[in-house]
Amino acid sequence: RYVRQLQRLQLLFSPTAADARGARQFVEEAAQDFARQHPDVVLYVSPHSGQGPAPVLRAEYLNGTVREELIASKTSEEIVQLATKLANQSGLDIIRIRKPFHTDNPSVQGQWHPLTNKPSILTVQGPRLKPQ
Amino acid sequence: MVVLSAARWVRSRLTDRFWRVQEVLKYARHFRGRKNRCFKLAVRSVRRAFVRSTKARREKKRFLRSLWITRIEAASLEHGLKYPAFISNLLKSQVELNRKVLADLAIYEPKTFKSLAALAQRRRQEGFLAALGDGKEPEGIFSRIVHHH
Repeated sequence: RYVRQLQRLQLLFSPTAADARGARQFVEEAAQDFARQHPDVVLYVSPHSGQGPAPVLRAEYLNGTVREELIASKTSEEIVQLATKLANQSGLDIIRIRKPFHTDNPSVQGQWHPLTNKPSILTVQGPRLKPQ
Repeated sequence: MVVLSAARWVRSRLTDRFWRVQEVLKYARHFRGRKNRCFKLAVRSVRRAFVRSTKARREKKRFLRSLWITRIEAASLEHGLKYPAFISNLLKSQVELNRKVLADLAIYEPKTFKSLAALAQRRRQEGFLAALGDGKEPEGIFSRIVHHH
């Protein structure tokens, strides 16, 4: 069963700043629809009055990563797209993956070492045998 | 930003210079000498580094293939076969494993590789018998070809 990796979305904006207009429109129109479509994501709307920092959409994931995206001077549709993109991501770092595969047990028969294909008389230690 | 007349435009200053310079210098931090600190030298070095990395993607394929071939050759020599004999006899027995997989098998699954070397050796002997002893002997078992339709 699919478990959404996004825990909560915090919408931090100020109700009077000019660049938070898209955020305010988003809260008025599209925030309820977004919250209904994604029932396992908690949406917090926290307006800080006055001249605070730039309006930001903060996403927190189940593995602890916090991702902040600026929403200054963005329209409501763009913020909806951003929010759906963050909701579909997992919290892993967005860096180049070196290999698309990984195993914890790469060797089933035992990894090769210089004595695998040599006669076992070389390593056997017994009461009378000595390794040569 | 929209400006309505030239006079206003002349008065605006560039305030982003530090971050524009850092965008380039962050790719030069592991270089040697002054080109990891000084922007003028770093711009040239970073550009050349990017060009070389795009061109090297074609060489990487050749380099890795020759690495795999070296490893398969070493592993098959441990079992008494030379590389051309090993590869050609594997192909004749319809075992179409590529060199990457064969190299990984040689490292992590030595017994499987030994059995593949034995298969190639047997097919080689049957090839010799078919070529030299023409006539009444029956065809070899491992020389039979399976047709997939």
